[in-house]
Amino acid sequence: MASLDPRVNRLPAIAESVSPKAPLDQFGTFEVFVQPKEGKPFQHEGIVHAPNLEMAYVLAKEAFTRRFTCTTLYVVDTREVFASPMTEGEKNSYDFIEDVPAEGGAKVSFEIYHLTKRGKQHMHVGSVKAGSPREAMVLAKVKFNTSKVVYNVWAIESDKIRFTSEEEKELWLTLPEKKFRDASDYKGGDKLKDFLERQN
Amino acid sequence: MSIALKELLYKMADDQLILGHRNSEWTGMGPLLEEDIAFSSMAQDKVGQSLALYTLLNQLGESDPDTIAFTRNANQFHNCVLVELPNQEYDFSLIRHFLFDTAEALRFEMLTRSSYEPLAQLATKIRGELRYHTLHANTWIKQLGSATPESIGRLQKSLDYAIPYALGIFEASPHEDDLIKSGVFEGEQKLKEKWMAKVESIITQTSLHLPDWNLAQPLFGGRQGKHSEHLQPLLDEMSEVFKIDPTAEW
Amino acid sequence: MYGGGNTFEGIKTDSIALEDPIKLAEFEARIARGEKIEPSDWMPQLYRKQLIRMIEQHAHSEIIGALPEGTWITRAPGFKRKMSLMAKVQDEVGHGQLLYSAAETLGKPREQMIEDLINGKSKYSNIFNYPTFTWADCCFISWLVDAGAIVNQLANAKGSYGPYCRALDRICAEESFHLKYGHHCVIYLASGTAKQRQMFQEALNRWWPPMMHFFGPSDKISAHTEVLMRWKVKMGTNDDMRNQFLDMYVPKIWELGFTIPDPNLKKNPETGRWDYTEPDWEEFKRVINGDGPCNKERLEVRRIAEERGRWVREALKTSKTAYVTPLA
Repeated sequence: MASLDPRVNRLPAIAESVSPKAPLDQFGTFEVFVQPKEGKPFQHEGIVHAPNLEMAYVLAKEAFTRRFTCTTLYVVDTREVFASPMTEGEKNSYDFIEDVPAEGGAKVSFEIYHLTKRGKQHMHVGSVKAGSPREAMVLAKVKFNTSKVVYNVWAIESDKIRFTSEEEKELWLTLPEKKFRDASDYKGGDKLKDFLERQN
Repeated sequence: MSIALKELLYKMADDQLILGHRNSEWTGMGPLLEEDIAFSSMAQDKVGQSLALYTLLNQLGESDPDTIAFTRNANQFHNCVLVELPNQEYDFSLIRHFLFDTAEALRFEMLTRSSYEPLAQLATKIRGELRYHTLHANTWIKQLGSATPESIGRLQKSLDYAIPYALGIFEASPHEDDLIKSGVFEGEQKLKEKWMAKVESIITQTSLHLPDWNLAQPLFGGRQGKHSEHLQPLLDEMSEVFKIDPTAEW
Repeated sequence: MYGGGNTFEGIKTDSIALEDPIKLAEFEARIARGEKIEPSDWMPQLYRKQLIRMIEQHAHSEIIGALPEGTWITRAPGFKRKMSLMAKVQDEVGHGQLLYSAAETLGKPREQMIEDLINGKSKYSNIFNYPTFTWADCCFISWLVDAGAIVNQLANAKGSYGPYCRALDRICAEESFHLKYGHHCVIYLASGTAKQRQMFQEALNRWWPPMMHFFGPSDKISAHTEVLMRWKVKMGTNDDMRNQFLDMYVPKIWELGFTIPDPNLKKNPETGRWDYTEPDWEEFKRVINGDGPCNKERLEVRRIAEERGRWVREALKTSKTAYVTPLA
């Protein structure tokens, strides 16, 4: 292939594949949550596909936090996210969560998230200790259901999450200095003004 | 002292620039989308780190970073040969990333204690970037180094090929003693020992094996400006637009 | 970077009659109220199908769009441009990743979309089938193709599908750097040496016709999209988008003293809209159907990238995780 791109000219020739890709030949799905600033809640940002939780963490870091600000992020397997029914208008999703009797046995921590506007992100609101995701939803209803309508609730068992460790927080140390990824670093105004003055 | 310090800064900066340039070639062509993004970020970090080092050199009286980076010929570059080798397949690019970045992270970690204050400050500042690079490299090597016969075979072959070049990272400077005595840098030998231990600690968690260090022959020369046939074409390509008019602002 | 245009050709609205009328009415009322549709909501088949098609094309355009600018990634002049261009091209890949995820919420896995791209089954923005001969072509894309894409994306971000809106909010925020960077590059060429000015003028001459094609065929000849407008899948007509772009950027190009290669281009004081020579829609169709200067290379590069990465993906596959549709 004679290309204008020197990189393309260096590509090896590769024969047409004989075995087409199986339709579902892909990795698991992991949900990514980011804390944009210290003191702000974590918010859902999107997904990565990865073969395991650790790889998902490594890949999510640059996919979701190479721009703007970030203090920390975490990831979890999509299958670990328990969701309430999606509502709209004045209907609160919590109203569709039926009370279940408190379950015995070991209580574990669940992180709780709210969607308060359709089309926006799920935001972290806090955690509860419960024996099951269902119970976590019920406890969240008591703890976090205020006057504001919630359209969707997520509950994720904390132990299933790959958090950022305290030492790893330095991963974002130089992010604010990467100005070359920021529109504010491209001020052409003076140059343009000089140019226009020279024209006149 | 100034000569020794500049030599150290030049070789580090050249390493970072050339490897950053090589790794950027994968942008848009990586093996999976998320990895494409991650690898590109690390290439950007490397070029950014080289810029920071050239800026230190500029403060010591050398030319401005663009002139240094875009107008020298291959024999004026002090990078190790490892970083200038073509990317080949992703196995080699990953192995090189692992071997080089392990050394780089350790070097900067040592330099946080440098008596040359601006370098110590830089080393402290970029520790988070380096932590990510080694986290990324280690995670990938552990994963692919224990996965399928094909991935293990590919990584092993690339590892065998890369090791002599990787040992070339630690080619001693003629000013080694000065650097050590003045507390600027603890020296290539010490770095190499730390590096071997670190590389071993990761590789032993995989199905890969390292060569006998005593038998491995380092490939030196890069630090003295003696390069493979690959560097000059890389530089010609890198400076193609810049050299249309080196006095122009682009 | 996405221009639209070829997305909705030949849509068949027959299937709407087969939908449950009560659910359809609720769905349409929800959109009319300005509420977003989320993946777990009921939606008409046609809505799902057209959204997948549109978001998928958008994602492909990002991935393929990384190639013409990537052509200059190893040659960017100077540190500042080198780092910026790397970050800019990387963002395009990142946008692809975000958009594929949004399309996946509608039920089509990413690998299947990539497969369809490589096999030529799905389209991407036509403009990336043109070559970047010089650094100035690369600057043209960074500034003006991205500008065109932003016009389109800002409109689409007000659309009805939640996951697409979320992706676009993020993408538009990131694109502000692209636009500023691209304009910065062009200001430097414009105010530089005679050679630099000439480079950009030549790039402008080459890229203006595909830029006019970018927003898709004229409303006079493009397919009927009334239902898609009502469902807020399509947010503006092709001509509206083109006009908005001309309004915002023609003055900026002229300000730099460049000549746009269309003698008929001027703002009509009576209509408030731009007059221009009708773009060659036959060429547009020809290129979209595979016969452009770079179609073959773009897909071939993508195919080689996939094939070279195959062993990596094979090695990483494990039964411990499973593909599931993203939640949001």
